Amino acid sequence: MKKVRGYMFSRNFMGERVPQHIQNQVIRNFCFQNNFQYMLSAVEYSMSNSSLILNQIFNETKNLDGIGFYSLFQLPKKEEARYKFLKKIVNKKKFAFFAVEDFILSSSKDIEKIETIWLIKKILPKCLEAKDFKNV
Amino acid sequence: MIDFKESYEKKLSKDFKKKGYLIFNTNDTASLNYLRDKIVSSIERTCNLNHKKNKSKEEFLNTFHKKIKKHNLNNHRLKIINLINKDRKFKEKYFHSAKKLLYTIVGNELSMQTRINLSIQTPKDNSSLLPVHSDIWSGDSPFEVVVWIPLVNCYKTKAMYILPPNEYKKVEKNFSKYSGNSSKEFFSKIKKKVKWIHIDFGQILIFNQALPHGNVVNFEKETRWSMNCRFKSIFSPYGDKKIGEFFEPITLKVASELALKYKLPQIDEKS
Repeated sequence: MKKVRGYMFSRNFMGERVPQHIQNQVIRNFCFQNNFQYMLSAVEYSMSNSSLILNQIFNETKNLDGIGFYSLFQLPKKEEARYKFLKKIVNKKKFAFFAVEDFILSSSKDIEKIETIWLIKKILPKCLEAKDFKNV
Repeated sequence: MIDFKESYEKKLSKDFKKKGYLIFNTNDTASLNYLRDKIVSSIERTCNLNHKKNKSKEEFLNTFHKKIKKHNLNNHRLKIINLINKDRKFKEKYFHSAKKLLYTIVGNELSMQTRINLSIQTPKDNSSLLPVHSDIWSGDSPFEVVVWIPLVNCYKTKAMYILPPNEYKKVEKNFSKYSGNSSKEFFSKIKKKVKWIHIDFGQILIFNQALPHGNVVNFEKETRWSMNCRFKSIFSPYGDKKIGEFFEPITLKVASELALKYKLPQIDEKS
């Protein structure tokens, strides 16, 4: 059975806020459904942009098979840091899952998909809103 | 408003606006057959059933209720949904079955629901009912449409109903009077006005999910098998169902891709 360490947030991410016990339940449930061994979750520091806990989990991955995120929008905000992290996961032949998005990262192609979704999510606040269409 | 759409697009748009839905013959039969074949093989796998090759797939699906125990229905449904959604080609074939009309009605940079839904409605079963509702009332964005694909011929109570736009306008103006205290009461007030969809395998239904729709107990003698999936323009507003968790981009165009990755050059302050 593959061992997975959970990863949760204590701060907002992309305008969302989810209580930690709910994040924990969702991660645990994902592990159960996919037959992964759940190794409790580590909580990221609440300072904005902090990925210190994530890096620590990554350094422990020799004893783990993967990292279980509540959402893919909890990945590092900075594009370069995010890409570097995802690439490291793939290169080390580990995996990461994102429970809310029901998505498992295991190859370079998956990184591309994650990046595209991130970029669209970031641009959406700048797109027209429903009310704007009425003024066209 | 300026409208540069071609005349066939204008006609389809007008029909969609007037009826709230469109039914068309797929121009990609191979994709549609792939979907049905996958469902049949998933049933064989999950329900331990064998589709006899001398019988049609239509008959196999229509008579499904005679082959299983009623209390196992939801369990079977969930297992089949998992199998079809694990198949990497399934979503793509689903999209291709309806692509031409989606490009006309919605746009050509599309987001698609991440998981396709499957409905199995056996005769007289009241456990899989979908009371009258508009998807917008439960958090969907009005920018979405539903592509509904039957795997068998659907008619009367074996199908679904939709309230036409002209009737919905009356409801909208006086919602409390119509809705009463329950969806049952609501349906009783509109049931003579709803349009029952008659659709055969090989055809695709695309409908405006903002209009009230639903189903009732299937009083026909055959099991209904249908799938549904939502599509929207990538850059139009999302409702409670967000990009990533519910929708994913499937036809991002290269200009948008380049724009998303574009960064203004940095100016070094010293220079």
